[in-house]
Amino acid sequence: MSRARSIWLVARREVFERGRSRGFIFSVLFTTVIIIASFIIPALIIGDQAATRIGVVEPAPDGIETAITATAELLDQEVEIVTYPDREAGATALADEQVEALVVVPGNLSNAGELLFREEADPTIQGIVSSAIAGLRVNAVLGEAGVDPTALAGAQAPPTVRAIEPPEEGAEAQFLIANITAVLILVGVFSFGFTVLTGVVEEKQSRVVEVVLSTVLPRDLLMGKVLGIGVLGLVQLGVFVIAGLIAASLTQEFQLPPTTSGAAVQLVLWFSLGYTLYSTALGVLGALASRMEEASNASTPVTMVAMASYFVAIFAVLSDPSGVVAVIATFVPFSAPMVVPMRAALGAITPVEIAVSVAITVATIWVLFVVGGRVYSGAALQTAGRMRLRDAWRSAGE
Amino acid sequence: MLEIIDLAKRYGNVVALDGATFTARPGRIVGFLGPNGAGKTTTMRCIFGLARPDHGEVRWAGRPVDRVTRLRFGYMPEQRGLYPRMRVGEQLSYFGQQHGLSGKAADAAGRGWLERLGLADREKSKLEELSHGNQQRIQLATALVHEPELLVLDEPFSGLDPLGTATMTEVVRERAAAGVGVLFSSHQLDLVEDVCEDVVIIARGRIVASGPIDELKAASGRRHLDIEVAGTDGAWIGSRPDVQVLEHSGGRMKLLVDDRVPLDELLTAARTAGELRQFSYQPPRLSELFMEAVAEPAPEPEEARP
Repeated sequence: MSRARSIWLVARREVFERGRSRGFIFSVLFTTVIIIASFIIPALIIGDQAATRIGVVEPAPDGIETAITATAELLDQEVEIVTYPDREAGATALADEQVEALVVVPGNLSNAGELLFREEADPTIQGIVSSAIAGLRVNAVLGEAGVDPTALAGAQAPPTVRAIEPPEEGAEAQFLIANITAVLILVGVFSFGFTVLTGVVEEKQSRVVEVVLSTVLPRDLLMGKVLGIGVLGLVQLGVFVIAGLIAASLTQEFQLPPTTSGAAVQLVLWFSLGYTLYSTALGVLGALASRMEEASNASTPVTMVAMASYFVAIFAVLSDPSGVVAVIATFVPFSAPMVVPMRAALGAITPVEIAVSVAITVATIWVLFVVGGRVYSGAALQTAGRMRLRDAWRSAGE
Repeated sequence: MLEIIDLAKRYGNVVALDGATFTARPGRIVGFLGPNGAGKTTTMRCIFGLARPDHGEVRWAGRPVDRVTRLRFGYMPEQRGLYPRMRVGEQLSYFGQQHGLSGKAADAAGRGWLERLGLADREKSKLEELSHGNQQRIQLATALVHEPELLVLDEPFSGLDPLGTATMTEVVRERAAAGVGVLFSSHQLDLVEDVCEDVVIIARGRIVASGPIDELKAASGRRHLDIEVAGTDGAWIGSRPDVQVLEHSGGRMKLLVDDRVPLDELLTAARTAGELRQFSYQPPRLSELFMEAVAEPAPEPEEARP
């Protein structure tokens, strides 16, 4: 039987045993629901606020509806006008919360009329309605005085509005995607890397490792374990990304920038590399421990490196994606998995840089497997206390 | 044939194996005996590549054992353990496949063993849901599911109830009858005497005795002689250098004698002394051979006698 089949069997066992566990399924479903909700709930809330209903009592002056709507638009507000035949019907509607405010203005604009609220005045609505009525009344007065309506309209035209440093198209979305990418990779690497760590320690604790290693080589066992759990990690990541993209496109609140698909590819690539790198290191440290508490102590250095890489990514790289720190971090294998996809999402990395970074990371993973495989075989049957890395290396020596 | 050739292994300053050499033949049940820490588990781990000997080698069918050869071996470690939350049927199938069986063949073999052990209805149970005794049965089935040519069992009888012991004995005998070589370690010497044909005794990392039990007994210089002569006090035996009195009450005596003791002379002396009721001459028990073999300083068990 080939070693490849042996590795495949180990990986398949991990996928089936963990993939159908209630814990895994529940956590994927739960997180997916949270992701979708985080897109849809804000959209629903914003949607509710979008159109403020304002009641107008007939007979109302000509053009009042247009005036209110146009003024609201200038203030980036959306209003819907509902007309009522008399004041009594309007007041009932206001009391029944069918409208937010009720406008009562005489049709001939002889006075500024009344603006009624239910409990307290809304300053925005008050501003919109007040300036609409004032505008109509001024126009009426000036019209009677014979002022040219065209000149009047011209005089009332708003100024040209312009930002002197407009953000690039989709820059905000790019920034958001870069952040989400870093978080997904950090969380994925942590949760699935620690699954590998736990799995290794559990095999030692249940002593099954001796039976397994009587047929499977230690390096193959480690590799199969990392692969199998990694498949689950990719499945979970895929579900999250697809759920997020679908939710984002459904709500249409969020315009996906053109770099999205490239960022998704980088996310999957760097999740795979980052996970493999960190989980192999964690798996080897797990083999040195014989109890869970020892394993979590042993994993501290790896945890620190991962956290440090994340902070470099969100502080140094996000603010200056092409800066010196960002470039250096691109070529350090432990920070690359968070830094590179972030720079890619921001469109601030060249394909050559990505290729070199991938090569360095893959080489590091290979070294980890070779060193880790030997340490693993030296430590896997050690069941008392925590073994030192050097002793494990020696004990497996030729 | 399994050949253990001059194995040596040190853990730091502790010598686990110091030139151990022995063989285990197909179809024979070999009891692997020795005090705690004598090197039994280390030897077994060397057979499975779980420990790397500093010196010496393990051969099977005349060739050094490698990963592919080991797929035809079955192992039950002293520290029992399987995947607690994995279903029993899938667990057996998994280990069958890891030994090279196809998925279907491994499923069928696993089911076969579950039926054989009376656990067919537990195929879908998680291992941890089974009783301790049944978990032990599954552990045995794990070592057997791929029909190994060599079965290595480290303390297979420890922690078994009489029923479990009976099952284990039956399975081991049946496998040996099918031509499988069986090597198992145990501290239960009476059981070993009952089950095994051959024994290998290890002490301080060296093999101090090995061979068929009958031959070892025959080669031993000790014999037991139980004599009962009514109406005497036993003084008739006198004082002989080749006779040691172990127990003495009235006319009954338990003696430990040299195998060259003149039996006729003793028999005549007994008859002369009084009415002879019992005169039984027996080889030593395995436990005595064991104690003798592992005693310090290491004796040269068989060569010790001229």
